[in-house]
Amino acid sequence: MVDWDLAVRIFAFGLFAVFCSLGILIGAIYAFGKALKPSEKGQ
Amino acid sequence: MLDLLVTTGVIHLTIGNLVMWLIAFLFIYLAITKNYEPLLLVPIGFGILVVNLPLTFLMREGQGLLWKFYHYGLEWEVIPPLIFLGLGALTDFGPMIANPKTLILGAGAQFGVYVSFFGALFLGFNIPEACSIGIIGGADGPTTIYTTVHLAPHLLGATAVAAYSYMSLVPIIQPLIMRLLTTESERKIRMRQLRPVSKREKILFPLVTVLVICLIVPASAPLMAMFMLGNLFKECGVVKRLSDAAANELMNIVTILLGISVGATMSAENFLKPQVIFVFIMGLVAFAFSTAAGIMLAKFMNLFAKEKINPLIGSAGVSAVPMAARVSQVIGAKADPQNFLLMHAMGPNVAGVIGTVVAAGVFLALAG
Repeated sequence: MVDWDLAVRIFAFGLFAVFCSLGILIGAIYAFGKALKPSEKGQ
Repeated sequence: MLDLLVTTGVIHLTIGNLVMWLIAFLFIYLAITKNYEPLLLVPIGFGILVVNLPLTFLMREGQGLLWKFYHYGLEWEVIPPLIFLGLGALTDFGPMIANPKTLILGAGAQFGVYVSFFGALFLGFNIPEACSIGIIGGADGPTTIYTTVHLAPHLLGATAVAAYSYMSLVPIIQPLIMRLLTTESERKIRMRQLRPVSKREKILFPLVTVLVICLIVPASAPLMAMFMLGNLFKECGVVKRLSDAAANELMNIVTILLGISVGATMSAENFLKPQVIFVFIMGLVAFAFSTAAGIMLAKFMNLFAKEKINPLIGSAGVSAVPMAARVSQVIGAKADPQNFLLMHAMGPNVAGVIGTVVAAGVFLALAG
């Protein structure tokens, strides 16, 4: 007997985790890209 | 004479053993003549061959040589993370850092994992088995093996072979779906040349990524940490020997052990079951849906984006690196020979590896 409640939780949390973690990474890349720009221009 | 014959393997051979020999020969043939994932199919094929020789007891628990490779290499979680160390040392995240939006395509391509997960549940597999089958859609061999060893070790041979088979069939499976879901004008979309990425950004990326991903999905840490360590070796520029060792010698050694260990799980009694056919079917479904989802997500992003994305790069969100990116380039070049999509497609391609590891981490955390 399949525990459908667990299956739906795995699906929902899985997709959320994938998009959320990659979304945070996008933000982080933009952020450190901007932060590094001035110091690299000064070099 | 009869006593002597009994000590040989000959009279203990079964039809199942012979069928597995044929499968082993097929794998070795495909690897040698068609060049289908030869680095893995040769040791896997050989592993299948020798494990199906009666009385060799290569997989006897605690004693057999291949059991030791399997137990200490896979069950102890050593080999897949070491493969990821090597992959990290071989991966250039530059195209993805230059165009971070492509990370979303790597996430979108994980849809197929969940389609196949539910498909497997409807076919009667339990949740851990369905997770192991679903992760094939990520087209990432070591992650599939890592997940299956934890959740459904009896399916290891089938899921590993399905994952590597579909990875080697990327140039055949993906173009059909890509042409079906895109118009000629979409395939001709040209993307702006990527900006150069500084060394500092490349060094910071693995450090930030390991913090973000392992905080959100701690169960993905063994794979993600080693992946990013390998990449840090490559990008920091001060440990060239370690980077070279991870990308070459170590990678080659663990590939041998991985291949022969996977092959060794494919004894006739483990592999010749109707379940295995379903694993292959659902693996293909997962792979096809992942490809389609990446393309559809790119088209969806185009509804809002100022600079259009060529949807062909969405299919590279499955992690078969760099094969899927090359397919995007080839199909794009057929529509417009002057269109160079390869580097743009490498972004979602390497993002897909990260996405698949995250999906696997969730499976391990909730279904393990």
